Amino acid sequence: MKLRKSLALILAVVLCFGMVAVMSSCGGTEATNYAENNTKIKVGISGPLTGGTAMYGIAVKNSAQLAIDEINKAGGINGVQLELVAVDDKHDSTLVSTTYTTLYEGGCQLFLGTVTTGPGIQFKDYALEDGIFFLTPSASGDDIPSGDGGFQMCFTDSNQGTVAAEQYFNTEYVGKKVGIFYKADDDYSVGIKNNFVEALDDSFGKPVEASFTGDAAMFDTQISILKDCDIIFMPIYYTPASQFMKQAATKVKTDAIYFGCDGFDGIDAVDGFDISSISQEVSYLSHFDSTATSGPAADYIAAYKKAYPDAPLNQFGAAAYDCVYAMVDALKASGEEITATMSAQDISEILLDEFKGDFVFHGVTGECVNGQKSNISWNDDGTVVKDAVKYVVSKD
Amino acid sequence: MEFLTILINGLSIGGIYAMIALGYTMVYGIAKMLNFAHGDIIMIAGYTIVLFFPVNPIVGIVAAIVFCAIAGIVIEKVAYKPLRGASPLAVLITAIGVSKLLQSAALIYSKGAIKGVPITTLGAIELFGGNLKIDVITLITIVCSVAIMVALTMFIKRSKTGRAMVAVSEDKGAAQLMGINVNKIITITFIIGSALAAVAGALMIFKPQGVEPTFGAMPGIKAFAAAVIGGIGSIPGAMVGGIVLGFIEAIFGATPLRDYVDAIEFAILIIVLLVKPTGILGKKRREKV
Amino acid sequence: MMRRFTKNYLNYTIITLVMVVFAIMALATPMKDSTAFLFQKITVAVILAVSLNFVVGFLGELSLGHAGFMSIGAYLGGKLSLVIITAFGLENNNILVLIVALIVGALCAAACGVVVGFAALRLRGDYLAIVTLAFGEIVRVIFTNSSDSSFGGALGLKSPSFSKREMYILAIIGFLLILFTLFVIQNLLKSKTGRAITAIRDNEIAAKAMGIDVTKHKLMVFVIAAAFAGIAGVLFSYSKPLVEAKSFGYNYSIEILIIVVLGGIGSINGSIISATLITILNEKLTVYMTGDNAVYKDLFYAIILVLVVIYNNAPGLKNFREKYNFKNLFAKIFKPKHDPSKIKDDAAKWDVVPTKIQMDEVLSTDMVIDNTGDNNADIGERGGNK
Repeated sequence: MKLRKSLALILAVVLCFGMVAVMSSCGGTEATNYAENNTKIKVGISGPLTGGTAMYGIAVKNSAQLAIDEINKAGGINGVQLELVAVDDKHDSTLVSTTYTTLYEGGCQLFLGTVTTGPGIQFKDYALEDGIFFLTPSASGDDIPSGDGGFQMCFTDSNQGTVAAEQYFNTEYVGKKVGIFYKADDDYSVGIKNNFVEALDDSFGKPVEASFTGDAAMFDTQISILKDCDIIFMPIYYTPASQFMKQAATKVKTDAIYFGCDGFDGIDAVDGFDISSISQEVSYLSHFDSTATSGPAADYIAAYKKAYPDAPLNQFGAAAYDCVYAMVDALKASGEEITATMSAQDISEILLDEFKGDFVFHGVTGECVNGQKSNISWNDDGTVVKDAVKYVVSKD
Repeated sequence: MEFLTILINGLSIGGIYAMIALGYTMVYGIAKMLNFAHGDIIMIAGYTIVLFFPVNPIVGIVAAIVFCAIAGIVIEKVAYKPLRGASPLAVLITAIGVSKLLQSAALIYSKGAIKGVPITTLGAIELFGGNLKIDVITLITIVCSVAIMVALTMFIKRSKTGRAMVAVSEDKGAAQLMGINVNKIITITFIIGSALAAVAGALMIFKPQGVEPTFGAMPGIKAFAAAVIGGIGSIPGAMVGGIVLGFIEAIFGATPLRDYVDAIEFAILIIVLLVKPTGILGKKRREKV
Repeated sequence: MMRRFTKNYLNYTIITLVMVVFAIMALATPMKDSTAFLFQKITVAVILAVSLNFVVGFLGELSLGHAGFMSIGAYLGGKLSLVIITAFGLENNNILVLIVALIVGALCAAACGVVVGFAALRLRGDYLAIVTLAFGEIVRVIFTNSSDSSFGGALGLKSPSFSKREMYILAIIGFLLILFTLFVIQNLLKSKTGRAITAIRDNEIAAKAMGIDVTKHKLMVFVIAAAFAGIAGVLFSYSKPLVEAKSFGYNYSIEILIIVVLGGIGSINGSIISATLITILNEKLTVYMTGDNAVYKDLFYAIILVLVVIYNNAPGLKNFREKYNFKNLFAKIFKPKHDPSKIKDDAAKWDVVPTKIQMDEVLSTDMVIDNTGDNNADIGERGGNK
């Protein structure tokens, strides 16, 4: 008697699941083009909006929104408006399966990829599997670019490390005592550091290395290791860098040089850090200067500060701003008719053709000569071609 | 000279750990719980000092101490008090929840930007003809931590409240029977612990360091390890544990093992626990069957 | 008959059914990738939660290093697969390689379980929790600093993985492994060994006096839990192209612990349900709380966690809880005539009569004062440990 009841119960459960299955399968067969109900073209980005790296993700999200607002105000892509979808991946590659499917199945057609490299590698795998083109503002890992659809707005890590060593250290700083300060648990930092050490001339000998992990911010030990160096290469982001400089101000040689990469951009805007108060020179190699007072970069900065007065401002954001404009410009340049309901694959095909062709984008990152926007183009393997500039932030 | 530098670095890092560890150890001794949110009190102190710094740095520090004390009371009353008598696991998980809550609230407040005080350093003292430089803040840290330890030990040994604390930590039931208001004692413990965290936060801020939502997370965990190494529940133990950890960081940070410093610290924690589970200075407790 | 069935086989049946329906859905139609991912994540979460519950709920020890065991499975299983696949030129989704990786991952994690288990022989409670936390952090630091050629270091290990379209296969394998996990752990708990483990939890010294080999059983629990965490780790590494050490930080261990706590400590089915629901909730929150709202997600989570734990555990809310809870609600709906006060008179129900004896009262040479709470606090489930 009871057994029969339970069998009935189980049967009911099975039926329920069966119905769910049938229902979802009906929806499933047609659902390959998730964008068909869009009223606007959706731009998707996956980045850290919370957690320790949130300041980079938030800058990217805000800047992409700023670019989209400007484009929409100017009439969109031939009248079609844009819309931003930003999802939070916490700089954790485990969440990328969720963020990617959220964007893709949510009907996004233009993809900015991820903000950081670790999640980016995974994002690239999924995007290529779906035939999606993405242009990442700041995931600079060597594994990100791919001629099949993974394009970068920033320089790759190997490029940054090699260029810093070959064009600056091996020529300008010959004979100086080189130190390296890096973050041992960060792919960006370790990636650049390894390439830098490899490209550094043998005449320097073995550079002095010091590292930190996590959000560690008491740098006494590292400072005492590096205090005798003439030039310290720092492939890290500006937050820990500014803290190192503040703490090291009186301990490191007063005429030492801090040499950073694009992660340094924004260092002079860190709250409570007055870069002119330290005697050491701070230089970095970057594609953007977030303290620019004239030219296209300054226009972007002014617009950003007006829209988001309290939010972090750095080169991540500028690159994202350029990414949105680059994709929109490429779509316009293709001459194809763009509609809001086009599938992501169709749009990706147009973009891939453009980016692999002789499309040249004029943006705010890269070297802006005489107040003109910079020239940015791409290699067929997805890496960016633009001029990096060595910015000297403070020099006494 | 190299050795002296390492010594001073170790003392400076260790002093901050020790001060945070004091909070852990007092709360553990009296409320028998691991207050995981203790590290985030440091973060609250950081934001408070940055907020009040333009008014006056001293006002900022005082405000931070007051603010953290209040935060400690609120956390204790809202999150921990209802769970008194519940399983230790439940209390631990609530503490973890409170820690996450404070961090996410800080993220909403800071909008992801890092905040800091606009100073570079407080200057340095040169010794041995410039061969040895000691930051003023390092000296302040060392002096502060020693002074606080002495004051705390005096307070606990001499004052009525202090002795009531010892009584509560020895035997809560008996203490209550003797007319001690256990709830009041626990609240006072949280106030003192949070105030010490605020002082540690101030020393970190003036080191100087920027504040972000995870400002106190890692120092918190390390200080907690320090408290355990020194012997949880013991005030000199927290001090010793903090300094030991500071030295480990300074010594191994100067060797090629530097990337493994965290692992080494935790490995030493495990070894200490296995060899002497009560920690270096912990009291041996008779196991009740 | 029915009781025994629901007690022993209901969860197997439901999981098998879900698996079959899922397989049909996946094979008959192109399934949304997000659905396949979701199910795959649920299987990993369930295995982790059930194995952690084995330690927390049945041995009564808190482990904050479960993600550490998982990372050992993920890294060693992933590395081994990579070596085999490159050596023999196989496809990434070779199931035989996956099975080898699962076995090796489980064995390696189990070996580390022995190490932590030895710590558990000397330490208890908060101290053991600290050791497990430290263990997890040490493992993470070692993998983070490994060389590029071994485990990829900070850049992560690029290990073989199933592609997005094949994720459903990994989910089905995950379901099979859940069944395996349940089979091992539930049968163990029902056996003499299981009773010995709970006896150690309730009172270690009394258990020892009864002739139970505490060393063997404690080690066994840690080894088995670690092995299953290792299995979950291998599944995890096969679900993504890059294994990063930072995924296995102490926060992840806490997340698993939260699942176990919300599902009910000591309840295997509770862990399964809560792992499923929390994974879905996590996923949906990421999907719906986008843009500026993302910052409120963690806050929301933290508040829910604190409230649930306080509601479930606060001694002051005991009466309220007993009046309004799911069990009573179900009891009211399904068994209106059930009268708990008469349970002792009913010989047929003697097996469910609580028979736990407060061993400390029998054996103690000390006077027992409950010093964890106010003196009116009741001696809880694990009162024997005081």
